[in-house]
Amino acid sequence: MTDAPIDLAKTGSEKPIVGRSLWKDALLRLRRNKAAVASACVLILVALAGIFGPMISPHPYDRVYPQYVRAPASLEAYPREEAIIPAFERAMARTRLDIGEIDVEGSVVRVSISSEDPLDPRIVRYIDRSDLFSNARIEDLAADERTGVLAADVHRVRFPFGTDANGRDLLARIFIGIRVSLAIGVLASFMALVLGVTYGATAGYLGGRVDNVMMRIVDILYSLPFIFFVILLVVFFGRSFVLIFIAIGLTEWLDMARIVRGQTLTIKRQEYVEAAQALGVSSWGILRRHVIPNTLGPVIVFVTLLVPKAILLESLLSFLGLGVQEPLTSLGMLISDGASNMRGASWLLIYPAVTLTAILFALNFLGDGLRDALDPKDR
Amino acid sequence: MIGYVLRRLAGAIPTIFIIVTIAFFMIRLAPGGPFDLERPLDPLIMENINRAYNLDQPLWRQYLLYLGNLAQGDLGPSFTRRDFSVVDLFRTGLPVSIQLGSMALCIALVFGTLLGALAALRQNSWIDYVVVGTATLGITIPTFVIAPVLSLVFGVMMGWLPAGGWGGGQLRYLILPVATLALPQIAIIARLTRGATIEALRSNHVRTARAYGLPAYVVVGVHTLRAAILPVVSYLGPTAAALLTGSVVVETIFGIPGIGRYFVQGALGRDYTLVMGTVVVIAVFVVLFNLVVDILYALLDPRVRYD
Amino acid sequence: MARDPILKVRGLDVSFRTNDGPVHAVKGIDLDVFAGEAVAIVGESGSGKSQTTMALMGLLASNGEARGSALYRDQELLGLSERQLNKVRGKKITMIFQEPMTSLDPLYKIGRQLCEPLVHHGALSWRKSRARAIELLELVGIPDPKRRIDAYPHELSGGQRQRVMIAMALANDPDILIADEPTTALDVTIQQQILELLASLQKRLGMAIVFITHDLNIVRRFADRVYVMRLGEVVEHGEAGTLFADPRHDYTKMLLAAEPTGTKLPPAPDAPVLLEGRDVEVVFGTGGGGWFSGAPHQLRAVDGISIALRRGQTIGIVGESGSGKSTLGRALLRLLPGEGTIRFEGQDISKADRRHMLPFRRELQLVFQDPFGSLSPRMTVGQVITEGLLVHEPSLSTKARDARASEALKEVGLDPAMRNRYPHEFSGGQRQRIAIARAIILKPKIVVLDEPTSALDRSVQKQIVELLRDLQKEHDLSYLFISHDLSVVRAMADYVVVMKQGRIVEEGATEAIFEAPREAYTRALMAAAVNDTRFR
Repeated sequence: MTDAPIDLAKTGSEKPIVGRSLWKDALLRLRRNKAAVASACVLILVALAGIFGPMISPHPYDRVYPQYVRAPASLEAYPREEAIIPAFERAMARTRLDIGEIDVEGSVVRVSISSEDPLDPRIVRYIDRSDLFSNARIEDLAADERTGVLAADVHRVRFPFGTDANGRDLLARIFIGIRVSLAIGVLASFMALVLGVTYGATAGYLGGRVDNVMMRIVDILYSLPFIFFVILLVVFFGRSFVLIFIAIGLTEWLDMARIVRGQTLTIKRQEYVEAAQALGVSSWGILRRHVIPNTLGPVIVFVTLLVPKAILLESLLSFLGLGVQEPLTSLGMLISDGASNMRGASWLLIYPAVTLTAILFALNFLGDGLRDALDPKDR
Repeated sequence: MIGYVLRRLAGAIPTIFIIVTIAFFMIRLAPGGPFDLERPLDPLIMENINRAYNLDQPLWRQYLLYLGNLAQGDLGPSFTRRDFSVVDLFRTGLPVSIQLGSMALCIALVFGTLLGALAALRQNSWIDYVVVGTATLGITIPTFVIAPVLSLVFGVMMGWLPAGGWGGGQLRYLILPVATLALPQIAIIARLTRGATIEALRSNHVRTARAYGLPAYVVVGVHTLRAAILPVVSYLGPTAAALLTGSVVVETIFGIPGIGRYFVQGALGRDYTLVMGTVVVIAVFVVLFNLVVDILYALLDPRVRYD
Repeated sequence: MARDPILKVRGLDVSFRTNDGPVHAVKGIDLDVFAGEAVAIVGESGSGKSQTTMALMGLLASNGEARGSALYRDQELLGLSERQLNKVRGKKITMIFQEPMTSLDPLYKIGRQLCEPLVHHGALSWRKSRARAIELLELVGIPDPKRRIDAYPHELSGGQRQRVMIAMALANDPDILIADEPTTALDVTIQQQILELLASLQKRLGMAIVFITHDLNIVRRFADRVYVMRLGEVVEHGEAGTLFADPRHDYTKMLLAAEPTGTKLPPAPDAPVLLEGRDVEVVFGTGGGGWFSGAPHQLRAVDGISIALRRGQTIGIVGESGSGKSTLGRALLRLLPGEGTIRFEGQDISKADRRHMLPFRRELQLVFQDPFGSLSPRMTVGQVITEGLLVHEPSLSTKARDARASEALKEVGLDPAMRNRYPHEFSGGQRQRIAIARAIILKPKIVVLDEPTSALDRSVQKQIVELLRDLQKEHDLSYLFISHDLSVVRAMADYVVVMKQGRIVEEGATEAIFEAPREAYTRALMAAAVNDTRFR
């Protein structure tokens, strides 16, 4: 490496040249990593599905369709053509009317009806009571009010992912499950982040005896079987959304604290921190300008890997029946339901499992990509 | 060496004591009790039951009683399984969990290290990509997905293996649960081994070995793999403890009579002694395996000394 | 020479595939090694000198590729299979490396590692090789070899490990021994011993040595012939004597002239004392004092040192690693807690707390050895330089600060337009200039220079030394110049303090110390650094 201040001097302009910061470098490297970019796209899509899915879904996640219990996943609309007439006959049976041929035309069913007494217009309620039909009405009512044509709209619904054992739309439930799982994952990681960074940075920066005591506490907490304490917490203090993410956050902050402490200790020993001390920069200035920006990289990577861990923990709790309360759901709960229904209704297991795996996969790849991009070993 | 082991074991007692104390009071702080049923029992009967289980005593006395019994190896009677003591439950359940866990552990160790080392030695070849891809998949797919899927595919659809049950420990019944337990561990161990092997291959002392014309089996077998196995050894402590004390998920899905389910069942049923027993057993396993790992590590790495 | 070379390299080309395109490290060089001679390959970092030998030994990183030809006694080495190559390397051609601390496998006893090349090249059984290993350890001067053969590498010092490496290299009576910067990581007195050992072994055993180094002094004392490399090319080669006496290529001339020259005149005798330390002591406690780890060990890094720095003076503090010289510099600046009295312009600052120290901070500045570690990687150069202004002149506007940054950059010979760039975009020498700019922007009276040139190539070192001298003249600065490199100290300092194990061994005017060192330790240091008599 030859030093050439002369080369630099000859450009000589006063206008500063904009440099390439390490963040920009990392971003460029990340963009070259196809797996990470694809993962980021998947995550954005999944997050959008979690946020907007429940709003645009035609079925509310807790709406029960008793006629469609465990309907297989299909793009075709329900009811099936061949199922309309029998269903309509069943509904008509309750009206105790004499009926003619049932005629299906598009999404309208028609049947001629006749009765000894004048037709009571309230009979349409029998039809409307069924989930399959709506807007039942009597057309072409004869003058004597004894014959006419009863028409009803067929209520067509689609369940692209099928329905569960209670007759709820699986797609809508997956949407809400994504929302719950992601929210818990992100909130729990955020909590672990705040706790861990504060604790770790304090221990690392203060050092000495304070650090010793603080880290011994972390060691003791480590040796406790913590997942069991989460279960205890949830079992004993109820199954609320808030408690679940707090419980998970409380278990996950220990690693974060260790990582941040290690980073802080390393950075504290760096010569640029010593240089800042020699300049008389205050502790806060050093933390803000030197320690925090330089710890950020590993912390970001770790958080990316923490989110899937938190989601997994939440799913485990849900799987054990300790997660959020019905009718609210999460991916873990859906998988648990799917596992108990897998004989004969495998879609109940497959779709939630694929969704969860995709999320976890994408987060892991993104985390790995970020680590490669931010790793200073590269230069 | 023996002094070191004894010192470590002595050091473990306060740790277990702290764990027991925290667990004891956490359970008692929780609302509800073991005999709260839908329809409240007759107060007189309730009183009798409470007296029989010492629940009428002040909490601190119960705590001291528990510690006293624990010191004699008595974990108390189970509250929900009336005719069994907690020790009885573990006597039947623990061997089952240990059998499953140790098989899974051995399989995971063998396959994990082999695949990891292979991937590292053929870095950036298709073998490497396959191993890394599968390992990532294995790490991301949770057990409670793997277990029902395996059961569905091999048990229900193909009908090759029983979809669940214990069958008195016959091999056919063991395959699926052991596979479920082993797969994620294979993935993790393979990744660890791969990373450590690559690092070792890049180290200066391996360069020395190559520069001195040592044959490939010496360079890899002697100078690379021993260094690469070290992180796997440290990973093994907590993992072995977790595997041998049973997995809630696997035991629930495959219907296996191990001890993995006791904690959740005990916590839900407020079976105080069962929960405490599980906590104690797990803590003992964790402490023991950490000790085993530290000894192994010191045997493998001369830079580590017992002090 | 009429003989044929035993190693004949023609058109050797080494390139590496990287994410930013291929990097051409060695560009078609020719090289000959004759039996029994000492050849030196000299070059600065990035010249490709190490990669040349790595390519010969088949040790290139997996993304590297070597082309051309390298004949060892008519056998082509390049493109040989590992198995074929293993018949040559470790037997006929051996190598010792720059990093004695990590070149041996930490998990095995040195005896086993010494025996391995003996056994696997088919010479001896494990039993017989052990006896030979003890012989070899004795040959390279390891005391008590019968016992030491069962030591693990971490139980040996750096110098001893390098001796073990040399023993390993000699095990199979090689034709060629390649030594890749074998002494760079060692202290000067140890360097001296290792070089003497290599020279005497060569004389006794008669193998050829290829010596890769950046240190011209070693070349002058060691080599028969010299190849000078720069940016992957051999720019000049020839007999060592001729080349040193009559360098042809500009780069060789520049390298030879790059040895720092000149001397520093002492300040006027009535120059006031700016910084004074009396009985300064720094004690580090090691071993956390845990429950089972016994009594904490204490290390007296600085043990009762008194020193006085006058205006315009440069005191050179020399000593080997672990002598406490850096600790002393930091203790004087009150960056480390210590005992004793420290006065700045007559005021006692040894008890001043953080707030009271603040006004003194701008007068007392520090420049570090490692130009890569001393600049915060996520700040622009402008921000790095002006950080001190935020503290000491908080009223300055952003614009005024920017102007001051430009000024400071100009003063250290950098283009002010570079101030929005980040440290990683600069070379080592440029970074050191930035670090100097950060120190002088506050217009301090004293700058502690902690090995400011040690991490730099010789040619860059010279520029930095000149820059520091110019700045001293211009601003009437006083320097505390900490270095293990005596030739730089001789050029920079007018007063020298020699330290060993936290104490002053000897001190005095630079010329007096260099011309007539009184203590044995000082003489050993001098012998290692300034001596230019040949080893044979």
